[in-house]
Amino acid sequence: MAVTKETPRRPPRPARAEGTPRQETRSPEPVQMASDQPSHPMGALVTAADRDVAEPIVVPNTAWTPANPTAYGGGMPAAITHLRELEFGDKSDNARWSGALEIIPTKADYVLDLIRLNSLWPLLSGLACCAIEMMSAATSVNDMDRFGMFPFRASPRQADVLIVAGTLTTKMAGPLVRLWEQMPEPKWCVAMGDCTCSGGRYKRSYAVVEGIDRVMPVDVYVPGCPPRPEGLIYGLLKLQQLIKERRGHWPERRVGPTVPAGV
Amino acid sequence: MLAPVAGRQDTTEIRVSPAEVTDVMRTLHDDGAFRFRVLADLCGVDTGEVMQVVYHLWSENSPDWLRVIVDGLPRDDPRVPSMTFMWKGAEWAERETYDMFGITFEGNRDLRRIYMPPDYTSFPLRKDFYLADDAARSPGEGFRHMEQVRPPAAADRPLLTRRSKVQ
Amino acid sequence: MAGQTRVRSLDDPTVFVETPATIYDAIPPYPPRTEREAEFYNLGDGEMLINLGPQHPSTHGVLRVVLKIDGERIVDLDPVLGYLHRGVEKICENGDWHHAISNCDPLEYVASMFSEAMPVLACEKLLDLEVPRRAEYIRVLAWELNRIASHALFMGWIALDLGGLTPILYGFIERDEIVEMLAALTGQRLLFNYLRIGGVNGDLNHEFMSRLGDWMGHAGKRIEDSQNLLNENEIFVRRTKGLGVIDRATALGLCMSGPPLRATGIPYDVRRAHPYSVYPELEFAIPVREEGDSYARYMLHLDEIRQSIHIIDQVLHQMPDGPCMAQIPRLIRPRPGRAFIAIESPRGQYATYAMSDGTDQPFRMRIHDPSYFNLQVMAEIMPGNLIADIMAVMSSLDPIMGGIDK
Repeated sequence: MAVTKETPRRPPRPARAEGTPRQETRSPEPVQMASDQPSHPMGALVTAADRDVAEPIVVPNTAWTPANPTAYGGGMPAAITHLRELEFGDKSDNARWSGALEIIPTKADYVLDLIRLNSLWPLLSGLACCAIEMMSAATSVNDMDRFGMFPFRASPRQADVLIVAGTLTTKMAGPLVRLWEQMPEPKWCVAMGDCTCSGGRYKRSYAVVEGIDRVMPVDVYVPGCPPRPEGLIYGLLKLQQLIKERRGHWPERRVGPTVPAGV
Repeated sequence: MLAPVAGRQDTTEIRVSPAEVTDVMRTLHDDGAFRFRVLADLCGVDTGEVMQVVYHLWSENSPDWLRVIVDGLPRDDPRVPSMTFMWKGAEWAERETYDMFGITFEGNRDLRRIYMPPDYTSFPLRKDFYLADDAARSPGEGFRHMEQVRPPAAADRPLLTRRSKVQ
Repeated sequence: MAGQTRVRSLDDPTVFVETPATIYDAIPPYPPRTEREAEFYNLGDGEMLINLGPQHPSTHGVLRVVLKIDGERIVDLDPVLGYLHRGVEKICENGDWHHAISNCDPLEYVASMFSEAMPVLACEKLLDLEVPRRAEYIRVLAWELNRIASHALFMGWIALDLGGLTPILYGFIERDEIVEMLAALTGQRLLFNYLRIGGVNGDLNHEFMSRLGDWMGHAGKRIEDSQNLLNENEIFVRRTKGLGVIDRATALGLCMSGPPLRATGIPYDVRRAHPYSVYPELEFAIPVREEGDSYARYMLHLDEIRQSIHIIDQVLHQMPDGPCMAQIPRLIRPRPGRAFIAIESPRGQYATYAMSDGTDQPFRMRIHDPSYFNLQVMAEIMPGNLIADIMAVMSSLDPIMGGIDK
């Protein structure tokens, strides 16, 4: 597990009885292992001299919990970095021209929204089967290029829309949230496929996040397993409508499970 | 060998104990009559009482498969010699078996978790690892076997209640 | 917008934020636990660890490769899997044998007829069930169509990974046509849920046959067209020829199968080595290449497409009449026992080891994807090559992370 200040040290070895042989391979000081089997002899392979690990600063994550409460030894996976959006005290959008009273959009705002919705650049975030349908929606037969969405950017810094296509597993949740944080505002998120909407067919699995709205805010949900390319395009057109009408929960974003507690 | 050679359809099956696995595999691989040089699959099985590791081998002498079941591994600390000295491809398969069952392969240079994150502490495919039961509070609870919450195993209540024995 | 930018000094503590080291960084925050980790993560002089993935533009899925590089040359690499591990085997154990069909669908999602065949063929072996001949022929038809669709996708992907943006459009036109045809047959484009224990879900219908007829008319021609895009393209040839050469001993030691193995010269095809379904009655050749490099693997996929078209031709001519599914009860309780089946998927030998304990739930459904072994070869052949060669080699091995990560 990740090395934190709260990680319990290994318990001190009991006093050696007379005549018991000493283990030669054991290093003189107990090595703190990240292995999930601390008593495994291969864990003591590397002596203290070879280790050169700085003490990392790990910010605890409270926005998402794994399905199995004992999975990480009762703790939290050190995977999901701090969501910086929660730091923004005011909910205003940094990338808008502020019109009068901040409620009435100006013509510049309207034009900017039109510009944005007509050239939404998606981030290549194809995880599983829905990625094939997303690529199918992007290629010649069902063309997303006519809506301006042809360049699938490889880098999140250049992308507008994160189309999460495919199952989000607990191991991938950290990188995906990091990708989301790295995208600059304005950004939108489309949950494509049943697995990203609610966990889908993997709702009972031990390693699947039940819906990406547990870890990031979602603007459009496109259900289906996998949704047809026409369905994804419909979802993206809905997203364009949403941007134009400034509806949805952007910029007033909330992160957390959209499923109420106790369900 | 722990049991007589069994055969069904196109697969022959032998059971060995963990102590003799290395010799058996070496013989099967090198001997001229056998020449089982293709390892098709390496997996682990949790029968509820013991753990097993199952290898599937193929030789060009016959179109049938050979299944080698290493039986009798204890549930608390299962250990099997690793096959990476013979097939390099077994490395990842053994990692996966370790990840899912906790079976330690002695001699595998890279025995760490492959599917689950490295700080995960459970072994998911064991029979005492139950999936999260999110349908427990639904109106349909208990109507299908998938939604029954099973109480943990006790002395009088075995881990698995099976109508027929799994060997 | 103008009033909201603030200039902060470099001494402001919020400017440079200490990024917490997590397990996803190239250098892990814990000491190495195994020999291989110790030898990998201890850097020599001038070496650097860098992450490739899990999100990267070569969309094979979420695979993370930690590279140890010295300048542009790769010294060593360590693939990290598990970013798509969905626990399919555990879910299969909790459901029925019928549920396992749709549970195992997304394993090899580009060609999911093969992954559906896993529980189906295993259960039929446990039941000693005889499948009607028409159902067998329909299955082979669906399998070969899926193989062509998967290889069409492969040809597009291998060019996309090398930077060519056009062949994937051609590949997807081809694939869309086949996939729409299968949607007319099965109702779904991608995760078909078509194979049933005892046969297939529904018989061939008119829509499917008319689309199939249209497609067969120009199938070969379109393949030749897409061949001409890449086969003699100097950039493609120079980037793939002689690259990622696998020799026979390495391939056998790594338990590889499928096109990467046949490209090294070993003619191992499960359809001929362990015949299943009606493949013994069909005539097709096993394409084999000798060089073992990425170009040979690419050309082998093209050969396989031609063979698949030949098989579909024979199937359509030999299609018998009869039921499309055997009469079996809804509740299936196979005898306690074990079954191992292997089929030839577009990636290699796709195997399942299924155990039944007499109840209607599978006791153990172990599914073994060929890309799992095929991907292991990366650590053997990549050191010494450039970073840009990784994608050329990895995409020629055609991994699908759904099957690798289960």
